[in-house]
Amino acid sequence: MLSKEIANDIIFEALSLGASFCDIFVEKNHIQNLTMNSSKMKDIRTGVDFGIGVRLIYGDKALYGYTNSVLKEDLIKLTRTLAEQYKKETKVEKSLEFKTKNVHSVSVIPDKNIPLADKIAAFHKMDKKVRAGSELINQVNLSLALREQHIEIFDSEGLYMKDFRPYCRMATTAIAKDGSDQATGSWSPGARGGYEFVEGLNFDEIADYTVKQALTTLKAKPCPAGNMPVVIDNGFGGVIFHEACGHSLETTSVEKKASVFWDKKGEMIAHEALSAVDDGTIDNLWGSISVDDEGMETQRTQLIKDGKLVNFMCDRMGEIKTGHPRTGSARRESYKYAPASRMRNTFIEPGKHSLEDLLQSMGDGLYAKSMGGGSVNPGTGEFNFAVQEGYLVKNGKLTEAVKGATLIGKGEEIMKHISMVGNNLDYAAGVCGSVSGGVPVTVGQPAVKVDEILVGGKA
Amino acid sequence: MNTELKKTCEKLVDYAKKFGADNCDVILSKGESFSLSSQNGDIDKYKVSGAQVIGIRAIKDSKVGLSYSESMDDASLELAAKSAIENAMNSEENKYENTFLATGDHLHPSEHDKDTASTEDKINLCLELERSVKEKDSRVQAVPYNGFSESTGSSYYLNSKGTFSFGSEYYQSCYTSALLHEGSENSMHYHGTIGRKLKDLDVSKCVDESLLHASEWLKAKPLKTDHYDIIFELDAFSEILGCFSNIFSGKGAMEKTNPFAEKLNTKVASENFSIKDIPQYKDAFFKSFVDSEGLEHKDLTLIENGVLKSFYHNSVTANFFKTQSTGHASRGAKSPLGIGGTTKVISAGVEKDSSVTNGEYFEVHSLQGLHSGANAVSGEFSFAASGYLCRDGKRVSPVKGVTVSGNFHKLLLDLRIIGDTVHATPDKSFFSPLLRFENMSVAGV
Repeated sequence: MLSKEIANDIIFEALSLGASFCDIFVEKNHIQNLTMNSSKMKDIRTGVDFGIGVRLIYGDKALYGYTNSVLKEDLIKLTRTLAEQYKKETKVEKSLEFKTKNVHSVSVIPDKNIPLADKIAAFHKMDKKVRAGSELINQVNLSLALREQHIEIFDSEGLYMKDFRPYCRMATTAIAKDGSDQATGSWSPGARGGYEFVEGLNFDEIADYTVKQALTTLKAKPCPAGNMPVVIDNGFGGVIFHEACGHSLETTSVEKKASVFWDKKGEMIAHEALSAVDDGTIDNLWGSISVDDEGMETQRTQLIKDGKLVNFMCDRMGEIKTGHPRTGSARRESYKYAPASRMRNTFIEPGKHSLEDLLQSMGDGLYAKSMGGGSVNPGTGEFNFAVQEGYLVKNGKLTEAVKGATLIGKGEEIMKHISMVGNNLDYAAGVCGSVSGGVPVTVGQPAVKVDEILVGGKA
Repeated sequence: MNTELKKTCEKLVDYAKKFGADNCDVILSKGESFSLSSQNGDIDKYKVSGAQVIGIRAIKDSKVGLSYSESMDDASLELAAKSAIENAMNSEENKYENTFLATGDHLHPSEHDKDTASTEDKINLCLELERSVKEKDSRVQAVPYNGFSESTGSSYYLNSKGTFSFGSEYYQSCYTSALLHEGSENSMHYHGTIGRKLKDLDVSKCVDESLLHASEWLKAKPLKTDHYDIIFELDAFSEILGCFSNIFSGKGAMEKTNPFAEKLNTKVASENFSIKDIPQYKDAFFKSFVDSEGLEHKDLTLIENGVLKSFYHNSVTANFFKTQSTGHASRGAKSPLGIGGTTKVISAGVEKDSSVTNGEYFEVHSLQGLHSGANAVSGEFSFAASGYLCRDGKRVSPVKGVTVSGNFHKLLLDLRIIGDTVHATPDKSFFSPLLRFENMSVAGV
């Protein structure tokens, strides 16, 4: 996409202007998006993104710029503009010999260039299945997002890496209506792969799940408010760790001391029952990458082991500012963002208990079968996330469905209140928004029991 | 206006016609920005950007296809046009998306010249923000978010009937934050400001507001779980309204996701509640003139005296409901046709502000979890909140670690107490009198 000669010239220019490091991120995306509503294909959209980001590092300063232009003069001008305030003329060698490192590539589900007509037919099939689930289903929304990301990375240490990252995600939303009451059920699986991922999905299971969730929520009563024990089930339930702890373990927060855990490495920050990992190497998973956006081979990073904080997720700037080693976690939404330390596939490791063990041990409380999204303030650790499908528990048994529950708390406290971990680890795809934009991440966990957490609902 | 970019739009329309489009429209966006952030007394991030994108919506045999490209050479434009037609051919017939009007030229360049302040001045402002926060309170552990940005954006629209519009904007902003630590408690607050010139940016307010609330919330406690009257700070209420703005969407009504779809001309709010969309509201920071289909924006009454009077419409929803477009089409170069509002203004009521703030209430200053804690269809919400317990307009004690829950549709119907003075959010994007919501559920201790 970018010639090595031009890359060499840009890096030479940056180093000649006194930069201690320079890297270039070249990106081209082919996207295809489809949406269906009211049983009709609404929008079929394709497009091509292309851009180049140039980063200069002066000590612990990162200067970043981007452009859609591939012309040498535009890229040199961008480099000079970036260096304007900090330049110091420096004598450097003109020629770099770019070398590619061998890395283990995560395998991906292949895309066999399936015709658009087949994708549309699959939409109709799914639409029909969801509508057949109940006469109360008033609307079905379907969307498919396919993205093929091609990247190249050049840096002033002579690194040249390229990667191909296909992404596929299908979202199904069922809307149930009864009189003036409406409720939704949704499921949005995604993978690092092509359209064949969709062909492998169980449409009956997705239809049943979304319809059941919409109908359950339609009939649910408002959730009572207060502090109580909560069992959060597997899969997207992992958003609790993502929000309550994960963001605070990115050096993006740690380097600013804007993390409650910034000085806690080696200390117990969670219940001894809890171990957690951020792993970019898992085949086909939505958040997996072969190399990160600085060209470093990704890795499995143990974050917490038996309650003790053992590692942070770190990028190049994080390493410069904190001294913690890089973990192949530098990520960005696109060339429009400088890389930052971000999560990949983050999950709590499985324990030994069954879901029933967890429910029975809690007595009375809330069972959060399915979670919505959430957010956190890493500086204070205060987080919140929504329960999409929840049930009250009496004497260890599920009773009535409830709606409108939000769980809030502080990360450092909640991690110590996760006292039991189940054995049913599962993953779910999501898009995480932060300093370097929205990136595909996987959250995951087995069911966990939180001894006490504030449930926001009806007072 | 850049005539070369207008010609690029024309070229894409011509390609689409060549490939058989019955109608089409093109949007081209170009943006440039400069931003800075500082850490520990020195600039740590410095960003310069420039990007452009062109997108086309093509109609062929009553079918719609969309495509875009960030490259604008002839081959890329030709490919974009061809892709849009191919996408249309694979789409299904859509008899409603076929209106392209000839409304002439609409030129609305920014009235504000680019600021001449030097890069050094901007760096100094950024550093001053951070330094001031640190100097004013010894409990400041960090200033995690602190920076300046400057943005220029322009947008071109052209359709196959010859309608052309151009608009541009220029603004600057700065922000800072204070992360305070005392004992085992941490507290953080962030404040930003917007302006056209560097000298207009209210640095002191950013610093003082960040420190004030971070300092107060350091000693904040949750309220007892109970029912409280609530007055939302305007920013917070604007965010809640944003979560439920689908109630005004003609597209939502057409697609059966708008819970008010069948409530036009019926009571959806208390009789003293009225809200309008005013694209060129005199006090608004940004003013809008033309929508994404080349139609001029006009004022629109959404709710009048509690009665739902209109939805936002584009040409598609207008055709579906056999009405006129209200000029609220919204589309980016990369996105399909949708609906978008401009500046919302809630009409003044009759109560003096001192009457609205009479007695005890919870002033909600900040909400978290807006994207996950709201159900736009059912109206249910549950948000984490922080603010102040107040009495007779005075803040009595800081509050955090609580959730505020309810149903937005019911809130509108139950609203009785509306102030007689319209206030603005700090960024001048939303205008409302004080609104007091009675007896809301708050979960705390």
